[in-house]
Amino acid sequence: MAPLRSLLCFCEGVTIEDVERALEEGFRDLESLKRRLRVGMGPCQGRYCIPMLISYLSRKFGVPPERLIPPRVRPTARACSRVFVPGC
Amino acid sequence: MATAYFLAERGFSRVVVFERSYLGSGSTFKCAGGIRASFTSREHIVLMKRSIELWGELSKRLCIKYARSGYLWLAGREDDLEKLRKYSSIHNQFGVNTRFMEPGEVKEVAPALDTSRLLGALYDPLAGKASPFDAVHKLYLASREMGVEYRFEEVRRILVEGGAVRGVASDSGTMEAENVVVAAGVWSKQLLESLGISLPLEPEPHHAAITEEYGRLFDPLIIDLESGAYAVQTFHGHVLMGVEIPEQPCWEPGERLAFLSKVVRVWSKWLPWLPSVNILRYWVGHYEVTPDHHPVLGPVDSIENLFVATGFSGHGFMMGPVVGEELASWIASGAPRTEEAAHLTLRRFEEGKLIRELAVIG
Repeated sequence: MAPLRSLLCFCEGVTIEDVERALEEGFRDLESLKRRLRVGMGPCQGRYCIPMLISYLSRKFGVPPERLIPPRVRPTARACSRVFVPGC
Repeated sequence: MATAYFLAERGFSRVVVFERSYLGSGSTFKCAGGIRASFTSREHIVLMKRSIELWGELSKRLCIKYARSGYLWLAGREDDLEKLRKYSSIHNQFGVNTRFMEPGEVKEVAPALDTSRLLGALYDPLAGKASPFDAVHKLYLASREMGVEYRFEEVRRILVEGGAVRGVASDSGTMEAENVVVAAGVWSKQLLESLGISLPLEPEPHHAAITEEYGRLFDPLIIDLESGAYAVQTFHGHVLMGVEIPEQPCWEPGERLAFLSKVVRVWSKWLPWLPSVNILRYWVGHYEVTPDHHPVLGPVDSIENLFVATGFSGHGFMMGPVVGEELASWIASGAPRTEEAAHLTLRRFEEGKLIRELAVIG
């Protein structure tokens, strides 16, 4: 049986094991982890996975979660389409 | 980073990279990842041909996501077609084999493109794209393996003594160095200003947006010649697009709604399904623009052992490998590998020897 894996980012299929590997490679800040693993880059825009990642890193490193800086939020925050393009 | 990689490859025993934020945070991670040699100046073409060779080698060696998937320049007006003919003759003269494609051929490389308004399309088969995230991260991992040290802190000052560089002062103290390379994008200007060196750089805001991911839509990076807009389908399937909107040079630009409506409007001409597609993210970055849209490379005359690599005017990611190789050669042997790189030193602005480039996009 394949080993159990813990899913952290549902949109991009990123697991805790992937996070561990990236940490070992030396990617420690959330901006870099986001881009190395694509966590938070799917349709949810990090709404669910980034808090989970912060919680995991906070417990792992014994750092209060409020000291871990989340990646910068990019608009549009929710996926949007022609609402932006009147007359298009 | 590319310079550090090539210095380590040449056997330099201690190479230290200072990064004030996270890797790629300046301009690289905001770029589209396009790579081409189809420029209109000898300097750009010669250097980019070598860069493309290096992209091929590095992507194999370091498993970087890179594809020679081409560039496709789209003309819907007679004027634009005329411009493309002119560009193409310059490309061909320098051995970049761009060629015009029939609408049927265009459909093969770009099945999701509407060709009904197409007057002519110029295809550059040598061009391609790479993933900025993957390229930077793989270069980081490989160069670290080769002994390059990374320090995540800001360089505050470059230390100079008796007309020669002596090291840098950062948040954690000073570090002595025989050579210093300033490759801090548009912020290089501020670093060098305190040394009395004036870099003719302007921080020009450029915007980009990305859609949700889809299956194969088009392979090449496409350019609408009328507006200068570009669009590329990333390796992950997103469509990343940019277009110019009126902007003044600005150090901390903000997002603008006008960009989103313009970019969707412009691209709807060629991608009629675009208005019903979801935009996922939108961001703004810089082109560090020089008066002649060419980079500033190599040694700074007034201070010994001080080098710069900046001013790429929107082409820094694609030029990364060749610039790394040229800078490493300059530092190791006192001269660049190619004559064209020597035309791009800071001295050209003092001597008024500017170079002309017609094909700047996005």
